[in-house]
Order: sequence, then C-alpha cells, then structure tokens
Amino acid sequence: MITLNHYLILGAVLFCIGLYGALAKRSAVAVLMGIELMLNAVNINLLAFNRFLTPDKMVGHVFAIFVIVVAAAEVAVGLALVINIYRDRSTTMVDDFDWLKW
Amino acid sequence: MLQNYAGVGVFFLIAAIFPLILLATAWLVRPKRPSPEKLSTYECGLETQGPTWVQFKISYFLYALIFVIFDVETVFLYPWAVKFQALTLFAFVEMIIFIGILVIGLWYAWKEGALEWL
Amino acid sequence: MELVMSLSIEILTAILATGLLIIGLVTPKDQRRGIGYLTTAGLLGILGATLFMNNVDKTLLDGMYIIDPYSTFFKQLFLLAAILVSVGSYDYIRRLGYNQGEYFSLLVYATLGMMILASAGDLITLYLGLELMTITFFILTAYRKKDAKSSEAGIKYVILGAMSSAVLLYGLSLIYGATGTTVIKDIAAALQQDIQPIMLLGTIFVLVGFGFKISAVPFHMWSPDIYEGAPTPVTGFLAVASKAAGFAAMIRLFIIALPALQSYWVVIVMVLAAFTVLFGNFVAIPQTNIKRLLAYSSIAQAGYLLFGLVAYSALGVAAILFHSILYVFANLGAFIVVIAFGNHTGSDEIKDYSGLARRSPLMAAVMLLSLLSLAGIPPLAGFVSKFYLFTSIIDKGYFWLAFVGIGMSMVSVYYYLVVVKVMYMGEPPEDSEPIKLPVSIQAALYVTMFITVFFGIYPSPLTNVALSVAKAFFPF
Repeated sequence: MITLNHYLILGAVLFCIGLYGALAKRSAVAVLMGIELMLNAVNINLLAFNRFLTPDKMVGHVFAIFVIVVAAAEVAVGLALVINIYRDRSTTMVDDFDWLKW
Repeated sequence: MLQNYAGVGVFFLIAAIFPLILLATAWLVRPKRPSPEKLSTYECGLETQGPTWVQFKISYFLYALIFVIFDVETVFLYPWAVKFQALTLFAFVEMIIFIGILVIGLWYAWKEGALEWL
Repeated sequence: MELVMSLSIEILTAILATGLLIIGLVTPKDQRRGIGYLTTAGLLGILGATLFMNNVDKTLLDGMYIIDPYSTFFKQLFLLAAILVSVGSYDYIRRLGYNQGEYFSLLVYATLGMMILASAGDLITLYLGLELMTITFFILTAYRKKDAKSSEAGIKYVILGAMSSAVLLYGLSLIYGATGTTVIKDIAAALQQDIQPIMLLGTIFVLVGFGFKISAVPFHMWSPDIYEGAPTPVTGFLAVASKAAGFAAMIRLFIIALPALQSYWVVIVMVLAAFTVLFGNFVAIPQTNIKRLLAYSSIAQAGYLLFGLVAYSALGVAAILFHSILYVFANLGAFIVVIAFGNHTGSDEIKDYSGLARRSPLMAAVMLLSLLSLAGIPPLAGFVSKFYLFTSIIDKGYFWLAFVGIGMSMVSVYYYLVVVKVMYMGEPPEDSEPIKLPVSIQAALYVTMFITVFFGIYPSPLTNVALSVAKAFFPF
C-alpha cells in the first residue's frame, strides 16, 4: 500500500537531487534542469497532499498547474539569457561568469 | 473493478503482439542477399558527409522557447474546456482576455523577428 | 462587476503595461521617446485612483485577494517608486537606443507583480505575484544585452532567483500539507491545535525563500553582483520596491498565518536581522563602486526592517511601513543622482564623484541628504523611522539587538561620509564642466529631497497613517 509518506519521501529525495544539481553542476543549462527538478518535487508534494488530505477540493491541483506554467516562463527567460551570454562568450559554464566578483 | 478494464488489456496485448507477428513473417519470408551497399546508412541515397554533432542554428532555440511557452499556457485551457458547460459567461470572457494577451505576445515575437528563419 | 471595480487598480496597471507594449510595437523606432512620458503619466493617474481606495477593506475571491488599507499603502509606495524610476530612466534608456516600449512595459509589469504580492490572501496568489515581479526583474537586469556585465548579472539572478523560488515553494507546499488550505486566514485557524514538525520545516523553508528575496544575510550573496551589473534605474527599483514588496508579503504571511509558530520564527528572524545589519554595514566600508556601496547599504537596511518583524507588535509593523517609505525616497534620490552622473560621465566609481558639489550643487545636496537620511541623522526622516524601529524592539526587551542596530548606524555614518567628503572636499577633475540636468531629473530630485526633509521635521501625518494601518494586524 502506497501512503502519503511514500510520496513525500519521493518529493524530498527529488528536491534534494535537484538542489544538488543546481548547486554542483557547472553548465548553466544543467543548473536550470536541477531547478526544474526542485519544482517538480513541489508538484509531487502538492498533488499527494491534495489526494490524501483534501480529495474533494482541487486546491493542490490548481497550485500545481500554476507552478508548471510559471516554471516554464522562468526557464524560458533563463534559457534566453543563456543564449544571449553564449553569443557573447561562447561558454555556458557557470564558473566562467566571473566578470562580476561573486 | 479490474475486470472492467479487461477489454483495454486485451487491446494492449493485441497491439503489442500484432507488429511482432508482422515483423516475424517478413523476416521469415524475405530473401536474404546483403551487400555492402545495402548495409550502409540510408540517407536519401547519398553518402553521409561530416559529423552529425553539429551546432544548431540559434533561431532553432528561439523557436523552441516560444513553442514551450505557448505550449504550456494551454494547460489552463484544459480545465476550462472540461468545465465549460458549468462555467458562466464570466469565465468565457476571462479566457478570451487570456488568449488575447497571448496573441499580443505572439504579435510581439513576430514583429521582433523571432519567427523568421534566416 | 463589483469585483472588477474592486480590482480596478490592478486592472488599470495591467492595461497600462500591455498598452505600452502595443504602442512600442506600432510606433516607428524614432518616435518612441514619448513612451517614457506616457508611463509616468499613466502611473500618476493610477496613483490618483488609489487615493479613492484608502478606506476600502474587502476580501475577494474566497479570500484569495485582499484589498485593505495595508495593501493600498504598499501599492501607493510601489507606484511612487515606479514613477521616480521611470522619470530617472528617460535618458538612460534613450542612450541604449533600442526597445523603449519593452523597458517601460516591464517596469509597469513588475509594479503589478508587487501589487499582487501586497494584496495576496492566498499562497497561490502570493507565489504568482512574487514570480511576476521576479521574472520581470530577470529581464530588466539583463536589459543591456550588449553589455557583458548586465547579461552576467541577469543569468546569476535567474539561477539564484529561481532556486530561491523553488525553496520558498517547497515550504509553501509543506504548509499547505500541514493545514490543508492555502488561504492565509484559514491557515491560522487550522493551526489552533498542535504544531506538527512538518509545519516548522515549511516555515523555515519559507523564511529562507523570503530571505533571498529581501537579501538578508546569509542569503544576500546575489545582491551586490546583480546591483552592480544591472542598469542603474533597475538597480534602484530592485533595491527599493522589490524589497518592500517582499516585506509586504512576509509580514502578512508570518503575522496573519503563522502566529502559532511565533516563538520559533521570531528567534530565526532575530538572528537574521542581527547578521544582516552587521554584515551589510561592515562590508560596505571598503567599497569603491557607488552602486556596490548602495547595494551593501540596502542589505543593512533590510536588516533594520527585519527589526520591526522581530518586535511582533503594531508599533513594529508601523515602523516597517514608515521606514519603507523613507527608504524609497532616500535610496531613489541617491540612485537618481547615480543615474544622472553615469549618463554624464559613464562612471560609477566613488573617486570620480570628486568635487561634485562644485559641478552640480543639486546632485551633491540630494546625495548628501539621502545618505544622511539612510544613516539616520536627525532632523532627516531616516532618524524618525529608525527611532521607531529601535523603540519597537526595546519595548519587547531585545536590548542587545537595539544596541547592535544603533552601533551599526554609527558605522554606516562613516562610509556614507566618505562619499560626502569626496563630493564636497575633493577637487573636480581639470577638464570638468558643470553637469546640466534635464528638467525631469531635477524635478524628481527636488521631490525626493523635499520628502526626506519634510517627514523628518513633521512625521506625525505619516506616523498616524502607518499606525492605523498596522493596528489591523493586532486587533487584540
């Protein structure tokens, strides 16, 4: 029997993998993919909570739809900026973005 | 409960087996006379040239970006369309406004030349 | 129809933003100068419309959207900031030579996001407002797309901003899971019983997310880079309005929805506030770039604003409201000087400000008053607001925090005075000529100067408004 806990653990693991990817990857595109994983972990959480706690209200589903759409907009802007900086410097490695000191 | 889905299961089974049978019959009855010419990669009848790992044109990414955004926005249309009968005129007007804003976005992308393939 | 009337401010702002985009599309490239003026006029009109909303207190759409004096106060603040920034941007954007319509349209969209954030009565609305604001700022930060620093700042902001949004969102999903609702008022009701660990975890995640947005130490590392790389008007808007918007949502979420966990989050916020004030002020000392200096000083200001949240009282919230207004005018005054100076000389280095008092007395005077107000020197407005902030935490017995705050204000006087010394004591460069300012910039500078001085001498009208708005949070 799969319970709420299983979904939450899946979400937590996925979130941690995404966070690791976002922090450890060198390529800007991979970092954005890590962030997508984190957002998907949130979606799993939302849907699981909705299914197990308030199955008659659709709040979690609506929230998840908004998360998906906003995440797409965010990543679109991110990728556009990656393309822009690639035209300039022919690199997408985060380490090379060092013209401003961190 | 599960029995209700038996029909679907049978369809799945047939859908999986049918192409296998076709491939197997073709393999059994066809003549086998391979030659180097026949074994080479098929590319419009021409020899392949150069590496396949080439850089895509930048306009390809722009297309993809615009596609992704418009693709994902349709996610709002699904719940709206499913519940269309129950919703009032207000929801209809709202969706028209939403699509109108999207159209302005498309117009902007067009005007700025993001849709041109040069 | 009643709904449309109640939302008229937001709808007008959305129409203005979209309209500016369309006008930018249909007018020929050489006739786009007017778009900036149109933006300012439109924003002024909307600001006028908000004056009719001052006493409206409504909850719309099943609690998803709240229009109360608190949100209207913040909307007026954002509009004022947007007006000043749009005035400061005319020349700057014209010099870039491309896409004027988009810039001003994005500016208005960012304002709309902040308004939604201030009015959010529901976690979904809060998230949407936050993202509308943040995503718009990603684009604005990278607006000088030919400039490597600007695009680098943009990409750094995207990565860190999206990451912090994801962390915040994870916290929101846990809060939703623990309470089964996303409406802020209902969350408080659902928390009447026992507190689950998951709720605590969610609160911490949300605090981290907001910490990023208001750049509290140790989540501040994005802000100096992005402030330096972004176009200067955007930096001003980012430092001032987006921070105030973050506070607007944070106060509502933490005070209305999470009073049951108050004993936990107050401790964390207190530590964040102390570190932020200490770090922001100390690191500002060695800075040589004026934008970076203002970035660190704005980190420190976020720490002072957090004091009001630590106090957890009507006076604390009122002090935050008061301080954010003054912070807007003082900081934007300084930033408009930086914009005008950058337009004229192309430099943001403090040493180039040498002898500014002789080249342009107005610019030097505004810079002086703004910096002194930020430092909290009487009789300027910054003194009054810091006085309220420190009083609010002393009332609650956090003497050590007040001590840290006052001590660090002394430190801040030092690095602000370094700039003042350069401007007034330094010799202007040999070949320099007086700086001529456009009328629009002059007007904006006079306004910021007047308000900074006026509310320092006569603060009671603003204090009364802030107190009456803040009382709504603590009816008991």
